[in-house]
Amino acid sequence: MTWQNFRVALFQKAPGALSVHFFMVVVTIVLATVISLPLGVLLTRPRHRKLGVVALTLLNVLQAIPGLAVIALALPILGLGLKPAIVALLFQSLLPIVRNTIAGLMGVSPDVKEAARGMGMPAWRILLEVELPLAMPIILSGIRTSSVYVVSVGTLGALIGAGGLGNMIFGGLALFIPEYIIVGAGLGALMAIFFDRVLSYVEYRITPPGMRVE
Amino acid sequence: MDLSRMNLVEFFANNGSTIRDYTMNHFTLVVWAVSISLVIWVPVGLLLTKSDKWAKRVLAVANTIFCIPSLSLFAIFVTIPFLGLGRKSSLLALVLYAMMPLLRNVYDGVKSADRNVIEAAKGMGMSTGRIMREIRLPLGLPVIFAGFRITVVMTTGIATIAAYIGERNLGRFISDGLARSNVEMMVTGALLISVIAVGLDTILGILEKWLVPRGLRIRRQQGQ
Repeated sequence: MTWQNFRVALFQKAPGALSVHFFMVVVTIVLATVISLPLGVLLTRPRHRKLGVVALTLLNVLQAIPGLAVIALALPILGLGLKPAIVALLFQSLLPIVRNTIAGLMGVSPDVKEAARGMGMPAWRILLEVELPLAMPIILSGIRTSSVYVVSVGTLGALIGAGGLGNMIFGGLALFIPEYIIVGAGLGALMAIFFDRVLSYVEYRITPPGMRVE
Repeated sequence: MDLSRMNLVEFFANNGSTIRDYTMNHFTLVVWAVSISLVIWVPVGLLLTKSDKWAKRVLAVANTIFCIPSLSLFAIFVTIPFLGLGRKSSLLALVLYAMMPLLRNVYDGVKSADRNVIEAAKGMGMSTGRIMREIRLPLGLPVIFAGFRITVVMTTGIATIAAYIGERNLGRFISDGLARSNVEMMVTGALLISVIAVGLDTILGILEKWLVPRGLRIRRQQGQ
């Protein structure tokens, strides 16, 4: 190991790889949230309740598929590049968020909803002002699980040309330059831990004091 | 790449022995990793129920390790001279990943026993050891088993990535397929590993349901 290699890895390779990776993760998570939140809400409405149970079972099954397999299946269907990688990541990151949205909304006590209805709230206001705020901590915990997962599988995105930190790791493994591996892998680990900590702090702040479980 | 030229059945038929080899290797690694994890983490989880302070610390460490991307952890171990490429690194990484689900579920399972039941057992004059063996463990078994299920399915999935650090397992089909732009190989690998993971998850899920005492079935649905 030489300082020269470290400097190249840290100052020339890392900034680009890190920003691509960060971009990939943020875009995926934002898209996943935008898609899965309404989906989760729709699946818990009384009209689609049966569908919700089916969807939940299906999502649980799909969750078992390893990330590498999803990436590998994305290549022949979607091709190479950052966009296919994001779609592949999206596919897997939807699951925890939809699941937690459904679990959170189903966990809201019927008494509370009854009370809101008794106060004359229309259904959409019950949803926005009662159900969603009460379910928010659980939904956020789904988003957190999902983002940690996306940071992790995102490193594999390098295999289908997405770039990011995976490029440094795979490059380092192929050429056996330990400095590249350590910088790439270390930054990946730090990014995952960063997302986990920030989102769990938000989760903690958003939970009403009375609902916190210790 | 052309999807229409893909011939999975042919690939499957021509590479029967390789597929068998890789699958065997995959399962050897998974079985070793899961057994070592069980031997280490279940007793540690039981110990943690004695002290809330230590439980909090150790679970925080486990949580942090669990966050680290699997490729990163494998790659970092490769750079450590004693571990290097191959089985030692992959086993160590897999065992570390299993820490979080196993510890968490053993701890939660043992802790979740109803306070009144424990009180009743104490009143009957049972010792702490007997309470653990005859009440806490049987009542927590479904939760502990859920942790085991997560560990097995997760380990099977992450083991594919160990192909990049020299393991000859099902992940090889994906990594070699990607390197040679051989779509059949890649898709076969991906489908095989998906089917195995989903199959394992389903079988263990059925076992898990079967383990839950009938009286507790409805309550468990509400939990996470």
